[in-house]
Amino acid sequence: MAEIVLETKGLTKYYGAKPALDHLDLRVPRGCICGFLGRNGAGKTTAIKLMLGLLTPTAGSATLLGCDSTALTPAIRQRIGYVTEGHRLLRWMTIGRLEEFQRAFFPRQWDSRLFAEMIEYFELSKRQKIKHLSNGQRAQVSLALALAPNPELLVMDDPTLGLDAAIRRQFLEGMIELITRQGRTVLFSSHILADVERVADRIVVIDRGVLRADCPLEQFRTSVRKVVLHFDNSAPADVELAGLLHFRRSERQLELTLVGVGDAEVADWARQAGAERFDFVEMNLEDQFIEFTAPPHRWRLFQWEKA
Amino acid sequence: MRFLALLRKELRESLPWLLLAGLLLLGVGLLTVHSEARFARMRYQHWSAHQGLGPGEVVNTYDLVRSPHLAWVAMWLAFIAPGLGLVLGICHFWVPLFARTWSFLLHRSTSRMSILGAKLAAAILGLLVSLGLVWTGLYWYACRPGLLPIPEPVQILVVGWIYIVIGLVAYLGTALSALSTARWYTTRIFGLVFAALAAFLILVQWHLGWVFALAVLAIAILFVQTVAAFLSREF
Repeated sequence: MAEIVLETKGLTKYYGAKPALDHLDLRVPRGCICGFLGRNGAGKTTAIKLMLGLLTPTAGSATLLGCDSTALTPAIRQRIGYVTEGHRLLRWMTIGRLEEFQRAFFPRQWDSRLFAEMIEYFELSKRQKIKHLSNGQRAQVSLALALAPNPELLVMDDPTLGLDAAIRRQFLEGMIELITRQGRTVLFSSHILADVERVADRIVVIDRGVLRADCPLEQFRTSVRKVVLHFDNSAPADVELAGLLHFRRSERQLELTLVGVGDAEVADWARQAGAERFDFVEMNLEDQFIEFTAPPHRWRLFQWEKA
Repeated sequence: MRFLALLRKELRESLPWLLLAGLLLLGVGLLTVHSEARFARMRYQHWSAHQGLGPGEVVNTYDLVRSPHLAWVAMWLAFIAPGLGLVLGICHFWVPLFARTWSFLLHRSTSRMSILGAKLAAAILGLLVSLGLVWTGLYWYACRPGLLPIPEPVQILVVGWIYIVIGLVAYLGTALSALSTARWYTTRIFGLVFAALAAFLILVQWHLGWVFALAVLAIAILFVQTVAAFLSREF
C-alpha cells in the first residue's frame, strides 16, 4: 500500500458554537492528485489551514509527511508547497525579488531553471511588480513559487478561483507538468468541477464541514447516477430505497438520484414499484456534485410547493 | 539566511516611514539649530550695540543663551517617535491582516519566532537608525564649538532617547492590539492602552533610574504578551 502523505483523524474546528469542520477523516497516499471539493463555506479553506498548522483544531489531528500539523518543523514545511487562496503575495515586490525571497527558505532545493521556465511559459517578466499583475498572473506566479522548490506535497487552496477559462487552462497545464513528475502528491480545493475532472485521480467531498465522499474519481463518477422511472398510472408518492439521495415526482414520472446503487437493484425496485420502464440519465461531474451535495430538504420544499 | 531574508523584507516595507520620520526629525533639527544660531548672533549684536561692548566681553549672559535649543526639537521627537512606533506596528502586524498575506508568510521553512523576531529587529533597527542616529547626530552637530552660544546639556540627549524608547513601547502596544482577536471595545484595545499608560508613567518620572526601570518593565510585559499572542494566534 502506498505511503500516506496526509492524514486527518477526526479533525474538527468550531468557531464559537458553529462547526466549520466536523470529524474529518482523510488519507491521501503518495503520488495522488486529490481534488478537495465543496460548496462555498463548506470548510475547505478551514481544513487546509488546519492541515498546515495555521489554525489549531478544536479536536482531532492532522499529520503531514509524518509530522503533526500543530508542530510542523521548518524542515517539514520545506517539503510542502502551498498556494494560498486568492494568491496573496507581497505586492510591493517584483517577481524577481519574490523569487529571491522565496529561495532563501529553500536554499538547497530551489530550482531556478524551473522557475524561470514557468515564468517564461506564462509570458511574465521577473521585473514585473506583483501589484501590477492581474489575478491570473498572480496565480501563475504563486504556482511557480510553489513548484520551484520541488515540494513532495503541494497544497493549493482554490487555485483557479477568479481566473478566466484560458488562464485556468494554462494554469492547469502547468500543474499537470508537475503531476507528471514522479512521487508528487497534490491536494487542491476547488469548486470548478471541470478542473478537478481534468486533473484529479481522487476526490474528497465535504459539505457543511462533514466528509461526504473520499474515493477515486472514477468510483464517484460511476456511483452517483440519476434514473427516471416512467409509470402508466400515477407514480408512487414515497420512495424507500437504500442509496437514495433525492427524488422528484411528477404525475407519471419519478426522478431518482442514487449513490452506490447497481443496475440490478434499480431494476428490482422499478419492477416492485410498477414502473413501465426506466432510463439512466447521463450526468457530468458537476451535475453529480450538485446532486450529491444538495440538501435533501430543498427537494422536500419543492415537492410541497408543487402539492 | 532565512532570518536575513525576513529582516530585509520587513526593513524594506518599513523604509518609507523610516525615511519620512528620519528626514522630518533631521529637517526640524537642522532648521531649529541654524535658526537658533542665527537668532543668538542677532541677539548678541543687538545686546552689544546697546551696551557698547565688543566681542569677548560678553560671557555667560543668560539673555543670550536662554533655553536649550534642542528642547524644541525634542518636543517634535516626542510625537515622531511614538508615531513611528505606531505606524511600524501597523505595517508589520495590521497590513498583513488586511492584505491577507499572513498565510503566505507563515508557511515559511522557519519558526514563527523567527518571523516575529525579524519584525521586532526591523522595528528596533528602524527606530535606532532613523531616530536614534539622527537625534545623536543632531546633538553632536549642535554641540560643535562656534555654532550655538553654549553647548546643549547632555540631559536633552537623554530625553530624546527616552522618547525613542517610548516609540518601541508604542510599537509593541500596536502589535499586541493587532494580534488580538477580541473586539475593539473589549480586550483588543488593551495593548494600545497599556502602551499609552506606560508612556505617560515614563514621561512623568524625574529620576532617570525610574524612567529606565519603567521602560524596561513596560517593554518586557509587552514583549512577552506579543510573543505569546503571535505564537498562539490563528491566521
